Amino acid sequence: MENLLSFDTGLMIWTWLTFAIVLVVLGTKAWKPMIKALENRENFIRESLDEAEAARLEADKVAGEYEEMVAKARQEAQQIVASGKETAERMKADILNEAQEKSKALLKQAESQIATEKDKALSDIRSQIVDISMIAAEKIISRSITPDDNERLIDDALKEYGKN
Amino acid sequence: MAEAGHGTSNNIGDKIIEHVANSDVMIHFELFGIDLSITKHVIMIWIAAGLLMSVALYATRKYRKEERPIPSGFTNAFEYVVDFVRTGILIPTVGKKHVLKWGPLVMSFFFLILTMNFLGLIPLFNYINHGHGGTTATGNINVTASLALVTFFMIIVAGIIEHGFFKHWKNLVPGGLPKAVYIILIPIEILSMFVRPFALTMRLAANMTAGHIAMLAIFAPIFLLHNAYVGVASVALNVGITFLEIIVSIVQAYVFTLLSSVFIGQAIHADH
Repeated sequence: MENLLSFDTGLMIWTWLTFAIVLVVLGTKAWKPMIKALENRENFIRESLDEAEAARLEADKVAGEYEEMVAKARQEAQQIVASGKETAERMKADILNEAQEKSKALLKQAESQIATEKDKALSDIRSQIVDISMIAAEKIISRSITPDDNERLIDDALKEYGKN
Repeated sequence: MAEAGHGTSNNIGDKIIEHVANSDVMIHFELFGIDLSITKHVIMIWIAAGLLMSVALYATRKYRKEERPIPSGFTNAFEYVVDFVRTGILIPTVGKKHVLKWGPLVMSFFFLILTMNFLGLIPLFNYINHGHGGTTATGNINVTASLALVTFFMIIVAGIIEHGFFKHWKNLVPGGLPKAVYIILIPIEILSMFVRPFALTMRLAANMTAGHIAMLAIFAPIFLLHNAYVGVASVALNVGITFLEIIVSIVQAYVFTLLSSVFIGQAIHADH
């Protein structure tokens, strides 16, 4: 019967030898490349995540800036439109004012011209009336007119004129 | 198992022991007066080493060529186990900085022990040497002692690499204690230095042997009683035990590796 606890130098030496071969062969050809690959992958994933995070932050920042820019542009556009409207309103008012003033001036001018023309026409008429009266008077006088008649006629004519 | 059938109740125990022990020299071989005969356990170690190297080299072929390979299929499964050893055993014990230095040793421990444990579960290998001798190399204390001695020396090597020769021995006991405490502590620490590999040796060998003895003992009534019902019960029970043995094989490989890694880590991080 074999003792389960028997000492066996040969087996120990074979174990060491085999283990040493496994350690050297697999250590250099399998375990180290695999550990390195795993570490590389870990680092790659971590770096990729960090980069993605940085890119996301950058994108957020850019988007924020863009939005800010758009808002600013919109505000500016609104300002431009508003000031344009204001200018237009002012111009409209100015033009209206001017037009009104001009028309008023024209009206005034026309009125005064009319008045002048009227005065002139009246004075013309008066002188013509005087002339006509003179002529008429002459004619009447030349026929048979008493001095009374003459005076009365002149008075009448003057009265008539005064009424106009 | 066929051999056991010829046994009688008187020598069934012998048959069981014969079945797990490293019996019968297959090829006698001697060098410088040392008996280096090839026994069944030596053959089993070689089969395990050969199989492991073939599988591992095949699975890692991509990793030798590319810097950042993308694993698939079998390589992926193999990588999962390697990464389990790396993140589950190496990083928490020796620390991330030392993984590349101690990884090869710890991984060789884990995979070689696991392969030897698994091979011992395959009845096919019983046919080597006409059914004489055990197939589980890790059930032999000479094999486990050899591996535990590797751990024993590697603990010392790790400490010396990290702290220098004298500092390593000083690190064995914590500093700043009253002198009287050291009178007790120094012998205890020296003792524990030797107890550790001894515990590693016995734990692995005993666990691997115990399962086989239990299975053989459960099979024995078939040949003693020649009863079909007993046969059914024995086989049913042993199927269950085989599943248990698969778990034990993995757990014991893990425990041996983890403890070795923990001890090496302790030597490296002795100052904190």
